[in-house]
Amino acid sequence: MPQVLRFVVRRVGRALLTLWFAATVTFLLLRLLPGDPALAVASPNMTPEARHTLLQQYGLDESLLAQYGKYLWQLLHGNLGISFSQQVPVTTVLMERLPWTLLLTVSSLLVTVAVGIPLGVLAATRPRGFLDRLVQVGGVVGQSLFVPSVGIFLLFMLGLQLHWLPIGGAYSPGVYGFAWYGDVLQHLVLPCFSLVLVQLGSYVLTLRSTLIESLGEDYCVLAQAKGLPNRKVVWKHALRNALLPTTTLVGLQLGFLVGGAVLTETVFAYPGIGRGIYEAVTRLDFPVLQGAFVLLAATVVLANVLTDLAYGLLDPRVRTT
Amino acid sequence: MRVRTPFTALAALTVAATIAACSPSAPSKSDGSTSDAVLTVATTTDVVNFNPLIGNSRTDNWITSLMYPRLLTVDANGAKQPYLAKDYGYADATTAFWNLRDDMKWSDGTPVTADDVAYTINSILKDKPAGNTTYGQLVNVDSASAASPTRVEVKLKRPDSTVVTEVGFWMNVVPKHVFEPNGSVAKFPNNSNWVSAGPYKLTTVAKGQSYTLERVTPYPFAPKNTPTVSKIVYRVYADINTEILALKNGDVDLIANALPPAQVKNLQSAAGIKVEQVPGFGYAHMAYNMKHKPLENLKVRQALAHAVNYEAIRSVVLQGQAVSTGSSPIPPVLKDFVDPSLKEYEFNPDLSKQLLAEAGYGADKPLSLNMIYSLQDAVTSQWAALVKDDAAKAGITINLQGMDRNTYLAKTSAGEYDIYAGNFAIMDDPTTNMALTYLPGGAINYSLVDDPALNELITKAQATTDKAQQKQIAQEAATLVHDNVYDNVMYMQNLYFAHSDKWSNFTIKPSELLSLVDPQSLANATKS
Amino acid sequence: MTATPASAVAGLETVTTDQVTAARATWSAFRRNPLGVASLGILAVLVLVGVCAPLIADSPSGYGEQVLQAPSGAHWFGTDNLGRDIFAEVLWGARLSIVIAALSSALAILIGVLVAVLGAYFPKTDMVIGTVVDLCLSLPVLPLMILVAALAGPSLVTVVLVIAFFSWPEVTRVVRSQALSVVRLPYMDAARLTGGSHVWIIRKHLLPAVAPVIVVSVVLTASRAVLSAAGLAFLGLGDPNSWSWGRILYEAEQSGAMSSAWWTTLFPSLAMLALVVSATLISIAYNDARNPRTRED
Repeated sequence: MPQVLRFVVRRVGRALLTLWFAATVTFLLLRLLPGDPALAVASPNMTPEARHTLLQQYGLDESLLAQYGKYLWQLLHGNLGISFSQQVPVTTVLMERLPWTLLLTVSSLLVTVAVGIPLGVLAATRPRGFLDRLVQVGGVVGQSLFVPSVGIFLLFMLGLQLHWLPIGGAYSPGVYGFAWYGDVLQHLVLPCFSLVLVQLGSYVLTLRSTLIESLGEDYCVLAQAKGLPNRKVVWKHALRNALLPTTTLVGLQLGFLVGGAVLTETVFAYPGIGRGIYEAVTRLDFPVLQGAFVLLAATVVLANVLTDLAYGLLDPRVRTT
Repeated sequence: MRVRTPFTALAALTVAATIAACSPSAPSKSDGSTSDAVLTVATTTDVVNFNPLIGNSRTDNWITSLMYPRLLTVDANGAKQPYLAKDYGYADATTAFWNLRDDMKWSDGTPVTADDVAYTINSILKDKPAGNTTYGQLVNVDSASAASPTRVEVKLKRPDSTVVTEVGFWMNVVPKHVFEPNGSVAKFPNNSNWVSAGPYKLTTVAKGQSYTLERVTPYPFAPKNTPTVSKIVYRVYADINTEILALKNGDVDLIANALPPAQVKNLQSAAGIKVEQVPGFGYAHMAYNMKHKPLENLKVRQALAHAVNYEAIRSVVLQGQAVSTGSSPIPPVLKDFVDPSLKEYEFNPDLSKQLLAEAGYGADKPLSLNMIYSLQDAVTSQWAALVKDDAAKAGITINLQGMDRNTYLAKTSAGEYDIYAGNFAIMDDPTTNMALTYLPGGAINYSLVDDPALNELITKAQATTDKAQQKQIAQEAATLVHDNVYDNVMYMQNLYFAHSDKWSNFTIKPSELLSLVDPQSLANATKS
Repeated sequence: MTATPASAVAGLETVTTDQVTAARATWSAFRRNPLGVASLGILAVLVLVGVCAPLIADSPSGYGEQVLQAPSGAHWFGTDNLGRDIFAEVLWGARLSIVIAALSSALAILIGVLVAVLGAYFPKTDMVIGTVVDLCLSLPVLPLMILVAALAGPSLVTVVLVIAFFSWPEVTRVVRSQALSVVRLPYMDAARLTGGSHVWIIRKHLLPAVAPVIVVSVVLTASRAVLSAAGLAFLGLGDPNSWSWGRILYEAEQSGAMSSAWWTTLFPSLAMLALVVSATLISIAYNDARNPRTRED
């Protein structure tokens, strides 16, 4: 009992620390770097008194410490504040974008894993062969692509020239009911594909190297010596171990993608959180930015939890510690 | 450790449940939608908020203008025309009035009355919403009242001949019965249950993606009081390249933002696309901050003015789509006011060097200045580079400081720049414009000029309603500005807008604010 | 027993001269890897091009009459939205992009290695350092880069600092794990017992042991920096005064040229791809070469 309790306490403590850190870093960056948020709320034509009143209402005139204290207090109560530029609660602003971000992120990760595992196995079981070299180079090239260029190219070829897919957006307005789901999927293909192209590389390369290492380990050699078919050795034994570091990688990518897909979202006009953050930055919308970064930190925490769970499923040794 | 397994299962379930809860759900067909033509309009900026009284992005303006009427509109020549107001004027020196139409109704059946107009003006004065353009024009206004359901009267603090036309055009009238119960207009998001006076009303909002508006009747400016297009959908494309591809592909019918000059030719020759030219009514200019040394010295300003290659900027950056104003703040399109005798500053780096030498600058004492501009303004960003390179030929170092719009506005209002580069959207009345631009404390006085002779001229023009006198004074003032380089007006840009050739009958109005997406235009457009 | 048989001494010499140093073995293994060698070649060409840019073409400036012209004899890579020669832009872009990548990765490595080594060597600080690094790793990198670059104002210095500050935790993570395993080895204890100062031990024993990891980290951080800088420039947060590959793409994006003039996008993107791919392949080949298990012999 106490072991589980200690584990939970440690994890929860870690999670809270991560959230606090993200909130504080954002808070400090916004207030210490140049950039006048007052302009987002106060018109330059205003009289000094009116401007001061408005700043007061938004709490921007108090001391740094007082603002910080108030901010943390509100955060603990789940109150993310009101957007400076949109006059609506920050939670509303973020929740409008979160579903799309999750959809894009989760789907691209699923595809990466689904395609990455066979490719990794292919490369690792034929080391230094032609296919291996191809996968290696392909993986490196994929990692090194500049997303906007690829995105525009895909839109031009597959959208405009071939008319296979729609150009931008998360769905077409005017589609209802069941057909809407199909429409969402259609719009998801290209952004997802761009993300997969970039992520697949590091996933496959990592899997390939860990799988090669696993296959060289004694237990795999023994399995082969026992006479087990190669396929079973790879898929049943070596892969389970090799998947561990890649699982960590996927967790990291999840954390990265949620806020980091801004270039993809810009080019494909996909309404995700990355683009939302960029726009909030241009408007110096402090509450939205603070809320968004806390949300991103929460996603990272969630990704860590999921990674641990996956680890637990894959590696029995973890379960018994 | 068997305890772990149910724990992990529980955790996995909660995660799955959260994801499911966050997922978007399919929209349902709203009532009353017809199968008539739908016009899809593309824009690069997302809607920030739906309250027309709060300073907003241009997409906000386009959409709220479809719901909240202005008192006046402009025609293709830039002249003010009646819209909500039938006629307007001054009852006496300190009382302005608008007489309203009586046939406009809000979509909930309430008539649009003078009460709504008076409420709008008084709220702006009282609540001072952030970034509101009208606030600056109400500087001489004391209060507004409804003398009758169709007559609005405005009490002025002092004679001001610009109030009725400027406030009439720039202000959107909001419904008092909807806005007033929500307290301060500066805080009211107005993001649901919209009440519109036509031609269209918001029905569905997918933030960051699309905004759907449906037609509202009666709308007196469309045939049979009914807007021809049944539904308008605004779609947001953050990247202009994706937007252009979408138009070429037929995903959208009209691009609301002005085309980048370099793409105009390409789209003019594209199949299925028509490009319309919209007269420009705004100018691009550089202002030299006279409160920063050595810009208070006329010779330095003149040197700077002669170090710019205006022709090259117009031909290369603007692809020939701009006209010179003769370096005068009165552009040639304002035929009633223009003074053809004013000539553009000559591009002559040697002359610049000479003038600089006379002012005490040269190789041993180099001149270095910073220039601010908004990175969101693609065209200005491009010619800023040219200005820098050409100034270098005269031995002047210009440090480009492109910044995001908010920082740019902040630095502008604080006067923290040597050279200001920017655009003015609609310049239709020289007197108003000069008052704002050249009077000390004027809202857009970026050169921070305070010339008593100029001040006198402008104040005189403001006080008089005699057109001929106004013209004469305006020309005198323009000459002063030109000769003293109080403002370096570089060009007036003609704008181009692309749309699918399946649509026609748009009404073309000046500037990107109206162009083809003006309410009257959309309410009369037809699909072949 | 003072006289040692001559043959025994001769045998010892042969043993010592036959022993190939680790570095030599790594290099010969690297040389045999075709991908590694090819990438080294490409990287060398790019660096050379960047260094020699002023000799090959004038710095792109001003404007040209032929706006958005397709590649031709006069302009190998075509012209951009202001008529400037894209070939010159790519050449000068190589110069700046490589400089940005080098500077930001150098700074990131400096901070990252320092923190990693300190944490590994002084176990009391390791707990704190480990936690701080983990926390920093959980921060969203690109959004923060955008935030800081936008607020601080786009400039060369901002871009370099921003990329460096958000890249060092990754370096620390990698170097620290290697350093931790080295610090526990017996020869480190032996070094401490011989009474060397901490600085001396770190410099003479710890750093060389983590050097290979640092080399890989340098290359990877630098190549990622190229992409980050281009991403920031594309969003309008790059330095508007100087030519980088990201700026070429930014100008193409802003002027709507990406939708119609493929050459404005293709050439800078290919240049970036070449740099990043070659750098990554070099680091992979190096990694394979120095590890006796994966050496191709």
